[in-house]
Amino acid sequence: MDIFLQQLANGLTIGSMFALVALGYTMVYGVMRLINFAHGDMVAASAFVGLTIYTQVMGQATSLGAVIVIFLLAALTMAVVGVILERVAYRPLREAPRLSAVVSALGASLVIQNGIMLIWGPRMRIFPELVPQVYWDLGGVVISLIQVIILALSLILMVTLYLFVEKTRMGAAIRASSIDQDAARLMGINVNNVIALIFIIGSSLGAVGGLFIGLYYRGITFNMGWQYGLYAFIAAILGGIGNIPGAMLGGMLLGLFNAFIAGYVSSTWADAFTFILLILILIVRPTGILGERVAEKV
Amino acid sequence: MKMAKMLLALAAVTLLAVPALAADTLKVGVQAPITGSYANEGQGIENGVRLLAEQINAKGGVLGKQIEVIPCDDQGTAMAAAICAKDLVNKGVSMVIGSYTSTAAEAAQKTYYNAGVLQTSDGTADSLTEKGYWTFLRNSFPNSAEAEFAANYMVNVKKYQRIVVLSDFSTYADGLANAAEAAIKKLGGKVVSRDKIKADSQNFTPVLTNIKSKNPDAIFFAGYYTDGGQLRAQQMALGIKADFIGGDANDNPDFVKLAGSAAEGAFIINVPSPDVLPYEIAKTFIADYQKKYGEMPPSIWGLMNIDGMRAIIHAMEQNKSFDTKAAADYLHNMAEPLPGITGPIAFAKDGNRKGGAYVVKRIQADGSYANEYVQ
Repeated sequence: MDIFLQQLANGLTIGSMFALVALGYTMVYGVMRLINFAHGDMVAASAFVGLTIYTQVMGQATSLGAVIVIFLLAALTMAVVGVILERVAYRPLREAPRLSAVVSALGASLVIQNGIMLIWGPRMRIFPELVPQVYWDLGGVVISLIQVIILALSLILMVTLYLFVEKTRMGAAIRASSIDQDAARLMGINVNNVIALIFIIGSSLGAVGGLFIGLYYRGITFNMGWQYGLYAFIAAILGGIGNIPGAMLGGMLLGLFNAFIAGYVSSTWADAFTFILLILILIVRPTGILGERVAEKV
Repeated sequence: MKMAKMLLALAAVTLLAVPALAADTLKVGVQAPITGSYANEGQGIENGVRLLAEQINAKGGVLGKQIEVIPCDDQGTAMAAAICAKDLVNKGVSMVIGSYTSTAAEAAQKTYYNAGVLQTSDGTADSLTEKGYWTFLRNSFPNSAEAEFAANYMVNVKKYQRIVVLSDFSTYADGLANAAEAAIKKLGGKVVSRDKIKADSQNFTPVLTNIKSKNPDAIFFAGYYTDGGQLRAQQMALGIKADFIGGDANDNPDFVKLAGSAAEGAFIINVPSPDVLPYEIAKTFIADYQKKYGEMPPSIWGLMNIDGMRAIIHAMEQNKSFDTKAAADYLHNMAEPLPGITGPIAFAKDGNRKGGAYVVKRIQADGSYANEYVQ
C-alpha cells in the first residue's frame, strides 16, 4: 500500500507538469487546428531563460520573492516569444494547406532547439536548489516541498484558466473562435487577437512547466523539449485534443499511468506502454476521454 | 550510364584527394561526445589532445612531422560513432583518441581494426578487449577490476547485508553492474535487487520506490553522472536511507551540482581525481591545461586518453616509424612502463592497461571529495 501511494504521489507530480505543457498544445489546436510542435522546445527554452534570469538578472538570489520574479519574468519572456512565433511561423500560412503549417511547426521546433544549443551550449546545465529540500514522511509515503508546490501551483493555474475560458468575455471569444472562426469574425470578434492571446497563455503556462522541470530534476538539456513535448502531446490527445479540461485530465492520467507502469511492470517499458495507450485511444476513442467534438467540419 | 560516369568521377576525385592530403602531417583523430549529454567529457578529451599536440609540435613534432588534430563528434551514441569511424579513416588518421563511452568506442572498433588505425579509449567495458583487435589500446582499467574492488569494499569493508545493483542499458554500465553483481555473490554478499533505468529519462522515482520496498542498506549504481546525480537527489527525496555507491562514471563535478544538498555522504569509486594525482608530469600538464582553457580538466578520463596518445607517440618515436602494427607490438611488449599523467602505463597482450589503483571517495558537505578507502 505504501508503494502504491508513493507511486501515486510520483505520478501526480509528473502528471501536473505534463498537464501544464499539454494545455499549450490543446489551446492552439482548439482554435487553429494546428499541432504546435514547437511548444515542447518553448518549454525547454523557458527553463534556460529562467536559469539566465536567476544568474544574470537576480544575481543568484534565492529568496521566495526572487523565485516569484523568475517565474513571472520567464513566463513574460516566453509569452513574447510565443507571439513572435505565431506571427512569423504560423500567421503567413493560415490560409495555406494544413500540411504547410505542420511543416512550419516542425521547422520552428528545430530552430528553437538549435537556438538554445547555440546560446546556452550543448552541455547539460544545472538549476540551482531554489526550493529547500524539505520532506514529510507520512507513514511510509514521502512527499517533498517541491512536489507540493508543483501540484498546488499547477492546480491553481488550471482552475484559473478554466474559469477564465468559461466565465469571462475574452474566454467566450476564445470558445467562439474555436467553434467557427468566420462566424466569430462576423460577431465582431478579432480572431487575430484571440490567437495571440492563445499563444500568450499557452506559452506562459509552458514556461511554468519548464521551470518546474528545472526545479524538480535540476538538470536541463537543449534537446529535452522533444521528450516533454511528446508526452504532453499524448496527454492532450488522451484527454481530447482541443479540450481544456481534457488536457488537464490527460496530463494527470498519463503521469499516473507512467508511474504505475514503471513501478509495477518495468521502467524500460514505460515509454512503450505509453505509446500502446496512445494507439488504443486513437483506435477506440479518437476524440479522447473528454472530447465530444464531431469529427471534422468540411 | 550518366550515373555511372558521375560515380566514377567522384571515385577518382576521392582517390586523388586522400594521398594529396596525407602528405606531411601525422593525423590524429579525436572521436568524442563533443555535444550531447557527455559533452563536458568530450570537450575535455578534445581540449587535452589539442594541448598535447601543440606541446609536441612546439618541440618539433613526432619524427619531424607536425601533428594535425581531426575531431569528430560521436555524441556518445553508437550510430554517430560508426559514422565518425568511417570519416576519420577516410581522412587518413593513423590513430584515434577516444571515445569517452564504451558504447561509442565499441561501435567504431571494427572499422579502425580493418583500416589498421590505432584506437585508444577510456571505455571500461570488458567486451572492448575481448575481440582480439590489435588496434585497440585501453587507457583505463577494465570494469572487472573495478567490480572486484567495489564488491570487496561493500561486502568485506562496509559489511552491507542488502545490496541493490542498478545500471542503465549502455555497454559500460550493464557490464560493470553484471560484473559487480557476480563479484558480490562470489564474496558471499546478498544482492536483493538488480534494476535498470533508462539513461536521461530524469524521472527515476518509480524505480527508486520499488527499491525502497526492498529495504536495502546500499545502492550500487553503475552508470553516468548525469543520471547518478539525479538518482541521488531523488533517493534522498524518497527517504531511502541506503548508502549510495557510484561507479567511476559518476566522478564528475556535475554529479554534485545535480544532487545538490543531497550529494553529501554519497560514495564514488574511481581512480584518483586530476587534482590529487601525485605525479610530476600530471602537475605540469594540468597547470598547462588550466593556463590554456581557464578551467580544470573535467575529470580524469580525458587525462587517461591523453596518456593513451602519449603512449602511442612514444612507441612511434622508439620504433622510428609511423607503422601502427609495429607501435602496437611495442606497446604490448614494453619492458618498462611509461610514466604517465594518470600513473605508469603499460599494456597487456589483449590491449588492457595493466594495474589498477582505485579509491572510494566520500562527498563532503561542501561538495569536495575525501578519500574514504584506498586500494
